[in-house]
Amino acid sequence: MSQTGNVLVIGAGIAGMKASLMLAGASNKVYLVEKLPIIGGKVIKNEESFPNLECSTCMVAPIQQDVLQNPNIETLTYSIVEKIEGKLGDFSVVIRKKARYVSLTDCIGCGMCYEPCPVSLKNEWEENLIDRKAIYVPCSGSLPNVPVIDSEHCLKLNGKEECNLCVESCAFEAINLDDSDEVMEIKVGAVILAAGSSTFDLSSLPNLGYSTLPGVYAPMEFERLFASNGPTLGEITLRESEKIPESVAVIHCAGRKEQKYCSAVCCMYSFKFARFLKHKIPSASVFNIYSDVCVPGKNYQSFYKSVEGTDTEMLYTSSIDEVQVSENGPGLKVTYSDASGSMTELNVDMVILAAALVPDDDAAELAEIAGVDLDSRGFIATVQDGSGSMETSREGVFVAGTAEGPKDIQNSVIQAESAAGQVMDIVTAEVSGS
Amino acid sequence: MKEFEMREAGQDKNLRAKVGVYICECGPNIAGKVDLDKIIADLSQLDDYQDVELVVKKYGFLCSGPGKEFLEEEIRSNGYTHLVVGACSPRDHDSTFMGVCKKTDLNPYLYRIINIREHCTWVIDDKEKATEKAFSYIRGGISRVLRQSELFEKPLDINPDVLVIGGGIAGMEAALSLSGEDRRVFLVEKTDHLGGISLDLSGLLPGQGEIIKNKIDSVTEDKNIRLFLNTSVETVIGFLGNFEIELVSIENAETTDIMAGAIVVATGSSLFDPGESAHLSYSESDEVYTSLSVEKMFSGEGEARLRSGKKPSSVALIHCVGREEKNYCSGICCSYMMKLAGFFRNQSPDIQVTEFYRDLCLPQKDDQERYTEAEAAGVEFVRIKDISIKGTEVSFEKMNSKKSEQSFDMVVLAPAIVPSADTEELADLLTVPLDESGFFQEVHKMTNPVGTSTDGVFIVGTAHGPKGVSDSMQFARASAGQILTRLIPGEKLIPEVKVTEILEAYCTGCGNCLDVCVYGAIYSDDSRGISVVNEAVCRGCGNCYGSCPSGALRTKHFTNTQLYREVDEALR
Amino acid sequence: MEDKAGVEFVPSIVGFLCNWCTYAAADLAGSSKFALPPSFTVIRVMCSSRIDHNLLLSTYFKGADGILVAGCHPGDCHYGEGNYYARRRFALLKKVMETLNLDPERLQLSWVSASEGKRYAEVVGEFTEKIKELGPNPIKNSTRF
Repeated sequence: MSQTGNVLVIGAGIAGMKASLMLAGASNKVYLVEKLPIIGGKVIKNEESFPNLECSTCMVAPIQQDVLQNPNIETLTYSIVEKIEGKLGDFSVVIRKKARYVSLTDCIGCGMCYEPCPVSLKNEWEENLIDRKAIYVPCSGSLPNVPVIDSEHCLKLNGKEECNLCVESCAFEAINLDDSDEVMEIKVGAVILAAGSSTFDLSSLPNLGYSTLPGVYAPMEFERLFASNGPTLGEITLRESEKIPESVAVIHCAGRKEQKYCSAVCCMYSFKFARFLKHKIPSASVFNIYSDVCVPGKNYQSFYKSVEGTDTEMLYTSSIDEVQVSENGPGLKVTYSDASGSMTELNVDMVILAAALVPDDDAAELAEIAGVDLDSRGFIATVQDGSGSMETSREGVFVAGTAEGPKDIQNSVIQAESAAGQVMDIVTAEVSGS
Repeated sequence: MKEFEMREAGQDKNLRAKVGVYICECGPNIAGKVDLDKIIADLSQLDDYQDVELVVKKYGFLCSGPGKEFLEEEIRSNGYTHLVVGACSPRDHDSTFMGVCKKTDLNPYLYRIINIREHCTWVIDDKEKATEKAFSYIRGGISRVLRQSELFEKPLDINPDVLVIGGGIAGMEAALSLSGEDRRVFLVEKTDHLGGISLDLSGLLPGQGEIIKNKIDSVTEDKNIRLFLNTSVETVIGFLGNFEIELVSIENAETTDIMAGAIVVATGSSLFDPGESAHLSYSESDEVYTSLSVEKMFSGEGEARLRSGKKPSSVALIHCVGREEKNYCSGICCSYMMKLAGFFRNQSPDIQVTEFYRDLCLPQKDDQERYTEAEAAGVEFVRIKDISIKGTEVSFEKMNSKKSEQSFDMVVLAPAIVPSADTEELADLLTVPLDESGFFQEVHKMTNPVGTSTDGVFIVGTAHGPKGVSDSMQFARASAGQILTRLIPGEKLIPEVKVTEILEAYCTGCGNCLDVCVYGAIYSDDSRGISVVNEAVCRGCGNCYGSCPSGALRTKHFTNTQLYREVDEALR
Repeated sequence: MEDKAGVEFVPSIVGFLCNWCTYAAADLAGSSKFALPPSFTVIRVMCSSRIDHNLLLSTYFKGADGILVAGCHPGDCHYGEGNYYARRRFALLKKVMETLNLDPERLQLSWVSASEGKRYAEVVGEFTEKIKELGPNPIKNSTRF
């Protein structure tokens, strides 16, 4: 079977990229499908990653470059998998390459096309903290550094106006407004699902004030606010008031009770936020309101100890689910029950909610397309044979990274390499068996 | 300084060079920001170089398909000895143009890309200044490229076989994932049996005991796995693809020499000795146990009894034993203790089980449900600030600072997972550093957790750090993945080309460079009294360069002569 | 600053940038179109640890008005710990320069990560301003060389 050595990897985050590189290294042909116009996943949204606060871009950009330059990896950005039929060693896959309207080969990423575009929209990748145009790259330093046209909002494409400004501005004739979706069919021997996860919908917790109180932030919003390549170029200023916060409360476990699991990464990123805040605003008071400190593994507690009492004051609450955030003049008031059970108030300028990791919005759809089971929480389930196998309920289909459940970068990489190892093991067996 | 330059420049003497200089217009990005024609005219008139013929041209988009074909044809038809491309960042297109060179006879290391877009035309608005700057950068590139040398890939033969150290669950999983018709695995275990600590933990998950037995059977039956029981590793020399290892039998000191391309370290861990904790009088009472010994009772006899033979009617489960001392959280004890609580409750439904914990650490996605179930089943959870035990008397302080005492029939401690006793010795043998917790240190915490700074040596299971059985097996398969992708039977390994070399005539053998090399790529050749770079291991960072007092090092493709040319042009 | 003839002093500044972090930041500054002084020349090396005293002093003696060495933040080195070595050697070199009456202020070591395009522009801009204030490197006209 010639397609045995072909592998489909869905999701070009850290897990998908690492799995792809490993498979490609052993001369397997990899189709790496990413729904966004860029690769890199969630990690590149973080300026620095815990525990050693390493610059994420420095860490991931070489991996992104390796993926894009690897002759054995066909990276299909802005694409979705529509069908996976067949069986181990012989899957037929249908992929829809969405119309990008900008040629990946002709565009050189000069960015001259953004300026003339008359449409202004919120940039979702930047957590809506800044505007973008209808023709855009999600972030500075995007890879591939080629824009995409948002066909829903482009005046020409949605038929509102005969606008042709981006086309005229492009010196490379790289923009083609007549571009259309392309459907391709490929044959692969195995599939790795590495489509990542999402964060808990904080607006479903009215007691925490997210989406009603402008000073309350989701973790990814704060990551982008801190990022030196982000919407504020790294300046931490509050929404609306544009004030620099002098006091910040990080409230742990947002969504833990609802999701019925601990996400295992929130404590660490909360402590990281404390370090970030003190680094940029040395005079700020930072509080972590928590009930349990979850810092599993050999590397994490020492980081926690290094921020505890220095970068942040740790405030224990006997009931993390009942913390309230309310308006208090221009600022915010956090009400929580302390160790003795009495209600305590804390006035702060900013609140960051440590939200749980939850299944990706498209996880159920992907599971259906891939013909695999979800677990009770909506993540993609593994066979649960007690060996930590990354195989799903469908033979030949594997999962890796946060698509399988909440986890840190290290464990995402381990799962990716583990899944790739399993695929190569099968491929070898298939080849020598046939 | 002069000496260096002369020494390194020697290679270019007597060579008539013909340098092709191609400037990419990059649409308006370069052509629109500088006066390209002036640059081309000025470069063409350069008389800085003796015996060098310069051909300077511009082109629309060199990185495009037609651009690459154009360049390839130009190299061929003009017979260039060197090539300079004035374009964008090497991070974008260095490999593109190296690829073009590779299609011709021009050695790709005799080409240089000059980043005039990102570092000049995009950041300097004044056209005149930008033109000057671009000219200066390109002239620097020409001067530098003339000092560059041909470099060649040196494919290495590899041995695809693997040595796995440790016959626990992680080691067995690695061995089974790797063994095959064309790849043998040597599995070395210091005890007389396979299975490691997992044999004692077989009650941990339903069906796990079965899995471990199956793994042991599979390993034993696998004709491509050669098993060495009662054996330890005596010496290791070599590098990825080619290790020479001496094994020694613990029973009769007999030695065996083997060759392998990679080494997987799966030597496991041990448990924190509660006797080391000041708060716990572990040895003073007979009814204080470690979680492991209770687990053994359950998995052996199927029940846990006091030494009197009676079943306990109250049990205290104490979390986080050693966490403070070791300064890390083992990450699995909380859910493990809840598992034990379940065993106790199954044994005597009326038993009073109290868990004393500091933080609930429930990182696996099933852990929290286990906690909810335990709580619903009547297990009491007490969050404490402080705790001490004397025999089976437990004194504790709750979060609200209330102090209490309570007496139990049985006390069970959850000790932290700590590095196994022989970790340091093995680390020395493998030249792998230990981390601050005393476990083997991974080469990168996030992007390469199974790799080590000694390429070809991988760490899996709890030798890497505390973790559960499933995670240990995932680490094992991750290491297998890395080996499967890098050591392919019948194929060669291509090491980094831009490595450092040591010039024998200048080396005094002081060994400074050995000490600073993170990768252990430099060794001492005692017979010649010099240090030698193992090019198969060197990554070309150049750190050793600064440590050499005698100027014996050359960092290929980043030699001083090459860098001085850039400096000179920058300072003109 | 202007010299006696009233001509504006344009310093010659050389920046040795590590391939993985600061060079990437310089690229990001470029693609973000942050303005940079034309007097600054980038030289790429694989790691800041490659920059030894010889190269720095030579660059100084060749007449550079300012020399910037920039690499990954401590802890982020692509090669593990190269930048720690760079830091140590750099500190030592500055001491030595002081002793020899050479101006250590003309040398600067900075950490700039790949995502810090803006910071890169700031670091280069500020260093250039500082060198402008210091004026030309007197070694250029020294009779000693």
